[in-house]
Amino acid sequence: MPRDNELMAVTGFRSTHALCTLVERLVDPAFLVQQAPEGLLSGYHFADLPILGTVTAGVPSPADEELTDTMSLDEYLIANKEATYILKVRGDSMIDAGILPGDLLLVERGVTPRDGDMVIAQVDREWTMKFFRRRGSTVFLEAANQNYRPIHPQEELTIAAVVRAVIRKYA
Amino acid sequence: MNAPLTLHAFPRAILHVDGDAFFASCEQSRRPQLQGRPVVTSKERGIAASMSYEAKARGVTRGMRLADIRKRCPDAVILPSDYETYSLLSTRLFAIVRRYTPEVEAYSVDECFADLTGLRRPLRMSYFQMAAQIKKDLDSALGFTFSVGLAPNKVVAKIASKWQKPSGLTAIPGRELHHFVAKVPVGTVCGIGPQTTALLQKHGVATALQFAQKPEPWVKQYFSKPFQAIWHELNGAYVFELATGEQTPSHSIQKVKTFTPSSQEKAFVWAQLAKNVENACIRARKYTLAAQRVVIFLRTQHFRDVGREVELSGPTHFPTDILRAVLPVFEALFDASMPYRATGVILLKLSEAYYGQLDLFGEAIRMQRLSNLYESLDTLREKYGKHTVFLGASYLAHTHAQHDGERGHLPERQRELLPGETARKRLGIPMFMGEVR
Repeated sequence: MPRDNELMAVTGFRSTHALCTLVERLVDPAFLVQQAPEGLLSGYHFADLPILGTVTAGVPSPADEELTDTMSLDEYLIANKEATYILKVRGDSMIDAGILPGDLLLVERGVTPRDGDMVIAQVDREWTMKFFRRRGSTVFLEAANQNYRPIHPQEELTIAAVVRAVIRKYA
Repeated sequence: MNAPLTLHAFPRAILHVDGDAFFASCEQSRRPQLQGRPVVTSKERGIAASMSYEAKARGVTRGMRLADIRKRCPDAVILPSDYETYSLLSTRLFAIVRRYTPEVEAYSVDECFADLTGLRRPLRMSYFQMAAQIKKDLDSALGFTFSVGLAPNKVVAKIASKWQKPSGLTAIPGRELHHFVAKVPVGTVCGIGPQTTALLQKHGVATALQFAQKPEPWVKQYFSKPFQAIWHELNGAYVFELATGEQTPSHSIQKVKTFTPSSQEKAFVWAQLAKNVENACIRARKYTLAAQRVVIFLRTQHFRDVGREVELSGPTHFPTDILRAVLPVFEALFDASMPYRATGVILLKLSEAYYGQLDLFGEAIRMQRLSNLYESLDTLREKYGKHTVFLGASYLAHTHAQHDGERGHLPERQRELLPGETARKRLGIPMFMGEVR
């Protein structure tokens, strides 16, 4: 950060009082930090991005640098944030695909399903979870459970969403 | 007269997006059993706040009472409002429009304006294509339809989005403006109320076009500034700027809550009022505003309001200060022979909260302590949910259900908690409801 005399040259202020007032205003919302030996340091809100920390001398901590390239669990699981919904599984129709009653699904609305996608379809005014299968020009829904027969839609098939992730929380 | 009002198509390109039967659609889109059926929300308020198009077709109107709805439309599905979910979806609406332009005004929970001017080259689309694409993104991501209007300004953009509803997509370029406004009754233009409509009627103005064609001196002679602005916009000019920043309550903060059954118990009514004061203060602190003046009021079972204004000794946003000041007024207002159904509070004369001023009586020190205390309480609230810690004064309001009987039914999402969720805090992702097999 620039020194007082440098700041005065930049701002054109001729009084240190005016400069101090400006600095105080920037310190208050944590854009800048005032510290005795170093003078001004960039604050937490500097450039609107959290600063990882300030280092007085020497090499920056390698751990801090590496952490800038990590993603949160939300970012990992959710691609299209505005179109993602959650739902709770009740039935056992996908049990052979490893999906159990009580599991939570993250599903994305408004995407065109591809063959083999796990989808949430609307059948008889109810949600149903199945594999989406396309054979040439015909499509059908297939359960991952031998007790359920494939569903061949008579007229229209409404696919509400495609399953993107399964969450099972223990305890 | 069939002359165009203006020759430009889109000197500015303003978009208005409006959710179709928003709350009812939020419900239908997450429950397939409700699709194609008349759905009404706001069971807890005892009236219809939002009706699906199926319910509208059966004659259910906004504000209709539950008993009347059942008479008119016995198969209507009446649901308690799930404002948490509606807000989550509302945030998505704005976020999707912001993918295209940063200049978005969140006009209400289900409506926004967006300025698309100048984006044709970077997005490689015409304004109409942008409007169509935004509508497509909204419809597919939210699972229900939106009506979209494109015009040179806000007043006409609202006419455009209303032009065809539901699921409309209407562009009104400046040079075709006169064809559209000729068919719009002047009283349905946004900002023109019944009084103005009646006055215009006396001058033989029935349609928006007739109003637009009146000469400017005439408009200036009879109407105030806001109506002159509407006149300019109906002529294709751009006057009303978009308010794109975060909306802060600059004027007042109001919290009113009804409870059923009505109560004659003083401690309970006071607790209801205290809870409203706490909520109003949470909002004030959120925007670091402090109130200098407070209005409290009590509504009797027969919808009669009694209230009074109280001047505070200094600006504050702490419920303890406000409750101390309004207690004597409450004591004077409360009539033990009267059953009450609602209480309310309005914080007035808001200013930026600031406790730097030192004084002789240690007030600044006391405020600093309160401020530290409420900073901690607000942190607790963010972590564990609203009203994790509340004042003893509002205890009775927190421990009793707000409504008894069917009006007290909680939305399904609040009844069906996921493992780890609490009554105060749930996952911030909207949920598909019903059985998934």
